[in-house]
Amino acid sequence: MVVFGRISQALLRSSLTQSRQLSASAAHGHGEQAARTWKILSFVVAIPGVAVCMLNTYLKMQEHAAHHEEPVFIPYSHLRIRSKRFPWGDGNKSLFHNAEVNPLPDGYEGHKE
Amino acid sequence: MAHQAHAYHMVDPSPWPLTGAIAALLLTSGTAIWFHFHSLILVSAGLVLLLLTMFQWWRDIIRESTFQGHHTPPVQKGLRYGMILFITSEVFFFLGFFWAFYHSSLAPTPELGGCWPPTGVITLDPFEVPLLNTAVLLASGVTVTWAHHSIMEGERKQAIQSLTLTILLGFYFTFLQAMEYYEAPFTIADGVYGSTFFVATGFHGLHVIIGSTFLAVCLLRQVQFHFTSKHHFGFEAAAWYWHFVDVVWLFLYVSIYWWGS
Repeated sequence: MVVFGRISQALLRSSLTQSRQLSASAAHGHGEQAARTWKILSFVVAIPGVAVCMLNTYLKMQEHAAHHEEPVFIPYSHLRIRSKRFPWGDGNKSLFHNAEVNPLPDGYEGHKE
Repeated sequence: MAHQAHAYHMVDPSPWPLTGAIAALLLTSGTAIWFHFHSLILVSAGLVLLLLTMFQWWRDIIRESTFQGHHTPPVQKGLRYGMILFITSEVFFFLGFFWAFYHSSLAPTPELGGCWPPTGVITLDPFEVPLLNTAVLLASGVTVTWAHHSIMEGERKQAIQSLTLTILLGFYFTFLQAMEYYEAPFTIADGVYGSTFFVATGFHGLHVIIGSTFLAVCLLRQVQFHFTSKHHFGFEAAAWYWHFVDVVWLFLYVSIYWWGS
C-alpha cells in the first residue's frame, strides 16, 4: 500500500509538474527538444524495430510453407471439449474455426478415415 | 452563471449513470441468456444502450471541460485519482487470469498428461507474430510519448501525426491478433490451455480495441483544437491506459506465449 501510495503520488506530481517545468523552461529558450527527441526515437528505433520483426516473421513463415506436414488426429479426452453447444452456427465450431488446423471432436473435416 | 467561490465542479443531474447501470445488467444477463437459450435480443439491447450511454456521457464531459471550463486544477486532480484507481482495478482483473494460467500450468493435472503445454496441443511460435506484436506495442508506446510532448510543446502537426501513427500501430496489432486467432492450431474448447489462452489474450485484445478507440477520440479532439499545451488530461488518461495495455501484453507474452510454449 505504501508503494502504491508513493507511485500514485509520483504519477500525480509528475504529470502536474511536468507541464509546468516544460512551459517554464520553454520560456527560457530550452526544453523544446523533447518532442524532437521522441520523434527521432520513433523513426530511428521504434519503426525499424517493427520492420525487423516483420521481416523475421515473413522469413519464418516462408520456412514453414516449405516443409508443411499434415497433423495426425488423436481423439484426446482433454481436448475438443463439447460439454455445451457454442451459441453460434451449428454449435460445433469455435468462433475462429479454421478447418485446416482445427479438428472437430471426430477428426479433421474433409479427410476423415 | 452565478458567482462560485470555490474551484470544484458541481455536476448537474444526469441520466447516464442510470442508463449505464441498466446497460450493464442487460449485457451480463443477456450474455447468459445468449449462452443458454441462443437468443441475442437482450445482449444486443444492452450493447446498444451501453454505446449510447458512453457516447452521450463522454460528450457531456467534453462540453463541461473544454467548453464550460469546469475542469479546474483540483477537479483534474480528482480525475487523475479516478483514472489511477480504474487502472489499478484493471490490474487486478488481469491478475485473475494470470492466476488461472499459472494455477493450471505450474502443476498440470494427470488428465493433461502431467505436462504443459498439455499433450496434443501445438502452440504458437513466440518468436514469429507474437514477437512482432511485442515490437508493435512497444513502438506505439514510443509514438504516444512523442504525441504527449508534441501536445505539451504546442506542436499541433506533430501531435496529429504521432497520434495517427499510434492508432495505426494499435489497428495493426488487432489485425495480427485476429490472424493469429484464425491460424491457431488450438481453440477455446481445447481444455484448460485453450480457455486460459483465449480468455487472457482475448480480454487483452478487447482492451487494445478500447485503448485504440480512446486514442482515436483524442485524435479527433486534437484535430478540433480541444487540447492546449497545459490542459489535455483526456489525452494523458488515454496514454496511461495505452501504457497499461502495453505492460499487460509484455506479461502475457513472457508467460503464456514464451514460457507457456
